[in-house]
Amino acid sequence: MTTLTDRYIWAATRSVRESQRGDLERELRERIGDESDALVETGLTPAEAERDALTGLGDPVALAARYVDRPLQLIGPRYYLAWWRLLKLLMAVVLPFAALGITIGQAVSGAPIGGIVGAVIGTTISVAVHLAFWTTLVFAILERTPAPADRRGFDAPWTIDMLPHVPEPTKTARRSELIGSLVFLVLFAAVIVWQQFGIRWVPALESIPVLDPALWSFWLPYFLGLIVLEILFAIAVYAWGWTWALVAANLALNVAFTVPALWLFLTGQLLSDAVLDAMRWPWGEAGPIVATIIVAVVIAAGVWDVVDGAIKTARRQQRSRVTAAA
Amino acid sequence: MSTDETTAGHIQELRRGTVVLACLVRLRQPDYGYALLESLNALGILVDANTLYPLLRRLEKQGLLESEWNTEEARPRKFYRTSPTGDSLAAALTADWHRIDDALARLTGDER
Repeated sequence: MTTLTDRYIWAATRSVRESQRGDLERELRERIGDESDALVETGLTPAEAERDALTGLGDPVALAARYVDRPLQLIGPRYYLAWWRLLKLLMAVVLPFAALGITIGQAVSGAPIGGIVGAVIGTTISVAVHLAFWTTLVFAILERTPAPADRRGFDAPWTIDMLPHVPEPTKTARRSELIGSLVFLVLFAAVIVWQQFGIRWVPALESIPVLDPALWSFWLPYFLGLIVLEILFAIAVYAWGWTWALVAANLALNVAFTVPALWLFLTGQLLSDAVLDAMRWPWGEAGPIVATIIVAVVIAAGVWDVVDGAIKTARRQQRSRVTAAA
Repeated sequence: MSTDETTAGHIQELRRGTVVLACLVRLRQPDYGYALLESLNALGILVDANTLYPLLRRLEKQGLLESEWNTEEARPRKFYRTSPTGDSLAAALTADWHRIDDALARLTGDER
């Protein structure tokens, strides 16, 4: 017949390594026996005493973990920061690419807008879940991996050289950024309007609209509107400096710009037929390659713009923390 | 967190190191877990069984205690004894405890 003690010890010892079981069992039997005896002396029956003693020990798995000094947390303080930084970095780098990639893929395959939105949301969420799960799994294993004394896994001790540089994004530096942005945006808006009248210095394209005039019904005003928003955004960055809210706004603006632009480009709606004829598009086998390069460059530019803003924000916060500490 | 919990937490922090010292000193005479627990509590060194047993194991792993199973009686018991390393740690801890006591006494002045 198995007693409560047997069941408790079985539950406790099966959670530790085979080599530790014998020792742990003997120690627990000693402790439970001694504590039960003491309770019997206070007037309890042996059965009551056993029950009380075991209740006092608490959850057998937690007890065993304390006895063999095993972590009861998934990721302890030693790895927490490394885990957290890596997770944030991965999310920031991978998720936008995944979202953009799936958007482009869907758009190319001609999915309806609703289908694209659904696929982007669904895939981005599942990519995020995968990132979080696998990263956490690796760190949980590291946390439980025994390593030579004083060192665990990839433990890299912090040194003074790892301090981030404090940038000097004073208003002067930000002003040149603002001027650059404004010049670029105004020129960009002007180009969108002027292209309607052709490219004067290219004879074949003289007086032919470059972009499909049908786009004036919605998409070109939409892009001009976005440029206005971008101008407001550039002024906001100048006025307040980079914040995470502005990073999010930047991301939204970039997506709002890049996704429709690429979609129009890839579905052949962007350029006017006259221009395509004048350029003798498609250029045989070179066509898809050129298209791929253009798409890659546009995406890279958008991603870089967002990442650049995020880096500036992170540095700025670090700097203000340093200043506050001083 | 309530004030009581905060107080209990700080008292526990304050006692943590003293339990180690008490064990190292007390186990110059070999003894087993439950007897040690009883004698410490009788001396007014309040320690919980769920703290003490894992602590003994850890001190043994660190080479501060040595252990031996006594199987002469009906219930086998693990007897712990302070090792030479444990003894020198006890001396260091005692010195530090006195230093802290003196320092705190000077700090609190006439309040005592």
